[in-house]
Amino acid sequence: MSKHLFAMAAALVVFPAAAQTPAPAAPSNPIPRTADGKPDLSGIWQALGVSLTGETAAQPGGAYPAAAGGRGARGGPRREAPPYKPELAAKVRALVADPAHSPSAQCMLLGVPATTMNPMPLEIVQTPKKTVILYEVMRAFRIIPSDGRDHPKDLDPTYMGDSVAHWEGDTFVVDVTGFNDKTWLDGAGHFHSDALHVVERYTRTPQDTIHYEATAEDPGVLTKPWKVVDTQLRHPPRDDRVMEYECAQNNIDLPHIIKPAGTN
Amino acid sequence: MKIRSFGALFRSLSLVFAAAAMACAPAWAHHSFAAEYDSQKPITHKGTVTRIDWMNPHVYIYIDEKSENGKVVNWGFEGYPPNTLRRVGLARDMLKIGDSISVTGWVAKDGSARFAGREITWQDGRKFFVGPPAN
Repeated sequence: MSKHLFAMAAALVVFPAAAQTPAPAAPSNPIPRTADGKPDLSGIWQALGVSLTGETAAQPGGAYPAAAGGRGARGGPRREAPPYKPELAAKVRALVADPAHSPSAQCMLLGVPATTMNPMPLEIVQTPKKTVILYEVMRAFRIIPSDGRDHPKDLDPTYMGDSVAHWEGDTFVVDVTGFNDKTWLDGAGHFHSDALHVVERYTRTPQDTIHYEATAEDPGVLTKPWKVVDTQLRHPPRDDRVMEYECAQNNIDLPHIIKPAGTN
Repeated sequence: MKIRSFGALFRSLSLVFAAAAMACAPAWAHHSFAAEYDSQKPITHKGTVTRIDWMNPHVYIYIDEKSENGKVVNWGFEGYPPNTLRRVGLARDMLKIGDSISVTGWVAKDGSARFAGREITWQDGRKFFVGPPAN
């Protein structure tokens, strides 16, 4: 038996469900699968790459662990700013310099992809025709059908938008539209319009992480699509659920959030 | 990370992971650090715990600190959300009203009697990171 075949046989022994699906690109891929052969995204995950505020994490307390996915000592690459139309530059500057008005500081829902990128746990509950994501931050949730349906035609604009999904190979692709214009693309004042359209791609990796990509299109505001990439790390088993996070309970920071010097 | 007096907790791989996650997560998930605190102005306050607001979006703890001239100032500092502290092993009852502690952190930019808390040290030498690093 060749090494390749042995690997495939081993994979089928460990993951018999894989036998029911078309041959995956990497037969020895050890990612766990659901009964219907799809990669199993279920579990508690958390983004660790880039902060909601767009600031990288300092680390006076010590070195970064391997669990961070091999990122540099500053905690991850700084994200590119969304490419705004030139005539919007003044509005962008004003909002970037106004952290008190961030949806997060206001304890509002954060939208997509900001909710996913927020460094608080989320739980993915995956079923064959519907996936639910429960977010600790702002107690957000999303119900994501994957039964072939399209978005409703008469969507009312919402903070988290309307999501539908399909599988492209082993990648769970979520199409999100129907947003209002109240959230930011990140934590740094980068606004969008209600024409925002986001496509997210979730790919389970052999390293027990989810590779996450989101591409935001907003033709009235951005000159080209804006893409973010991050890694979702799995929480340890003892963290078996997301917990309540009622942000408005004691949100006493707002009066103390000031604008940086030199802005107005 | 240093949780020197919580060796048993430290031995838990889960805890190490969670603490590692905290260490590299930009944990000011709720509001911008720089908008409220000055990372260039670290500070240490010592005092007696007078109030513990174990609430979201951040735990707030208040201490009475006596200055050299005898005047007592009540300082408040914020830390991680309660859920984060629970995940890394700081239970709510480990800190009590009346405890004498010192706390490192960073000053508030608006000059108010509050700061971003980083590490608590109890009188018996126990230490715990109660809040994230500056960023």
